[in-house]
Amino acid sequence: MKSIKIIPVMLIIALMAVAKGFSQAKITVKGSDTMVILAQKWAELYMKNNPSAMIQVTGGGSGVGITSLINGTTDICNSSRPMKQTELEKLKERYNTLGVQIPCAKDGITIFLNEANKVEEVTIKQLSDIYTGKIRNWKEVGGNDAGIRLYGRENSSGTYTYFHDEVVKADYVTSVQSLPGTAAVVNAVKKDVNGIGYGGAAYAVGVKQAKVKKDSDSKAFLPTAESIGKGEYPITRFLYMYLRSRPAGEMKKYIDWILSPEGQMVAVEAGYFPFK
Amino acid sequence: MKRVPIYRGELNQNIRDNFNMMKNFIKPGNFEMKKLLIIVIFMVVSMNGYSQSHTLDSLKEEIQRIDGKTNALDDRVLVNETDLGKLNKIKVSGYVQAQWENYGGDLEKTNGYNNTFYIRRARLKITYEALDGVKFVLQPDFSTGNLALKDAYAVLNIPKLKDFTIWAGQMNRPNYEVEYSSSQREVLERTRLIRAIYPGEREIGVKFEYKGSEIPLKFQLMAMNGNFTGAQAKDVDSKKDLMGRLLYSVKLPDAGIGIDFGVNGYFGGNLAKTNKYINTSKGTLDSLNGAWHYLDKKWKGCEIQIFADFLGGMAIKGEFISGVNSTVSTIASTATMAQMKADPNKLKNFSGYYFYFIKNIGQKNQFIARYDYYDPNTKLKGDAAGSDIFYKTWTLAWQYYLNASIRLSLNYEMPKNEINDTNKTNKKDNVVGLRIQAKF
Repeated sequence: MKSIKIIPVMLIIALMAVAKGFSQAKITVKGSDTMVILAQKWAELYMKNNPSAMIQVTGGGSGVGITSLINGTTDICNSSRPMKQTELEKLKERYNTLGVQIPCAKDGITIFLNEANKVEEVTIKQLSDIYTGKIRNWKEVGGNDAGIRLYGRENSSGTYTYFHDEVVKADYVTSVQSLPGTAAVVNAVKKDVNGIGYGGAAYAVGVKQAKVKKDSDSKAFLPTAESIGKGEYPITRFLYMYLRSRPAGEMKKYIDWILSPEGQMVAVEAGYFPFK
Repeated sequence: MKRVPIYRGELNQNIRDNFNMMKNFIKPGNFEMKKLLIIVIFMVVSMNGYSQSHTLDSLKEEIQRIDGKTNALDDRVLVNETDLGKLNKIKVSGYVQAQWENYGGDLEKTNGYNNTFYIRRARLKITYEALDGVKFVLQPDFSTGNLALKDAYAVLNIPKLKDFTIWAGQMNRPNYEVEYSSSQREVLERTRLIRAIYPGEREIGVKFEYKGSEIPLKFQLMAMNGNFTGAQAKDVDSKKDLMGRLLYSVKLPDAGIGIDFGVNGYFGGNLAKTNKYINTSKGTLDSLNGAWHYLDKKWKGCEIQIFADFLGGMAIKGEFISGVNSTVSTIASTATMAQMKADPNKLKNFSGYYFYFIKNIGQKNQFIARYDYYDPNTKLKGDAAGSDIFYKTWTLAWQYYLNASIRLSLNYEMPKNEINDTNKTNKKDNVVGLRIQAKF
């Protein structure tokens, strides 16, 4: 074993790694459906101002994005929830890095109601009871005497996980209809007088937004820039970008721009909220 | 909870809209209704003689019938969704490792061949998440001539304490290299040290685990039979062995460095049933440890794993373990169950350590160098050690990740043994391995 020249071997490895680093050109972004509108706007504007850059954005859900990051099929993962410890461990096992978490915007999970619905506000507890099936009729939360129809996201969605972990905190009742994307949830609630759904604030068009309060004694808030900025809206979350390693080259430039006032303005224009 | 192509709410809403339209349609005073009534009266009087009320009743009955059918369909969709939801709780994963190995001359003499193809592992892992915080895992191994149950355990989250879990069944012992999945491990086999003291990796018992979400701390405590070798269903003595592991993580995000470090220990024993005297590691007879006494099986260790975001990622991992093992042979894993039961007649002080260096080269390649040392009997050296010789092993490996599912591994293991009267030369037992792993 004495004959093994560790130092030259290491040098070769380092050179190969550096060479690999320089070969990056296209940036792929995959993940959160909640963030897909924003990610596309960021990419479009950045490519317009930087013609040499090539950024490809797709959705699929935060879970899909995280899996792709671990599997090496995306450079940036958009996620509307923090990565779980188990997912970070997988990343660590595969790439021997800790992953890089970049909060890039804020969002208020909005409770969508049909415009004909009388209900104005709900507590977190009521939302949990509604989505676990303990509350089944609108009259139990101040609405009409009618059954509540539940719409939600698929389990690959970060919004699904975040809403489960922070609001529902138990198993969703099986009658929740899982829809592929927040736009589909909004669309379903728009057509269903007795429907309720949840999703990113940017999608709340043509539906009524319920005010949300922490508990029955608290003040109810709508997800506005002010209530989210002050941390008053109870279901406020960060939206993240995740990378395997610290960014370099074009990717660093792109991320720096997203975090700049210009990039954050794009987020505001798209219906999201700045991360700070 | 599965994606449904038709939104039930939308479907119901359409039916409800139609129903309301029909109701409005048949309201007295409605112009369309009057026309219909005239036509109906005319038709009824001139042709069939049915009454107006009879027609309205039929219409209502028909609507009710359709409404009933829709409700039934609604229920059926709900039932189907519930069934699909159950299926969604079952996750199936697995991997197959097919490989070719080439052996050094001394291994060829022992085995009768110098190379072979074989299936190292063919695993299927079935996880059923019954409820939030309740999980069942079953993992058989189907490799040729080696059908075995590897994992069979339940994991329960302690209610309202999301960081605490209780595991019960047959599972990995709480040790870094043991718990590090074979499908992910960067070299083909675990170190000689770990293979010797944790044969088969699994044990049957109960494990309590804390994994802090706020504090970067992990603690594992496992009570187990302590004699599992792969086929032993029940304990062979009354005392249970205990194993503990404490791990703390430090993260330096700006530097891209993460360090996990911790301590671990094993506290157990083997019952000497038939031997009156015990042959200690010094080779002397110790009359204090007679038959029906427990022989020590105790060791302590420390471990460190350093991960660095340096040119695409690298890691340095190491562990040191030292203690006393009661066994019948040089390496615990080679003791048969019958021997373990009847004749654990040796107390041996042992020690060992290992280091891994892993460097990611781009996204698809990895270079690995590992050094491990294992001395099964630290009290005896040279000729006195007999067959209890130490081993120093270098392993070099290269991984190529073809895609997320396929990995190719080239592995060269070079053990170097202690030389004495019993083992006069360094054995020719190097092994070259080439493996393809398919994972799903």
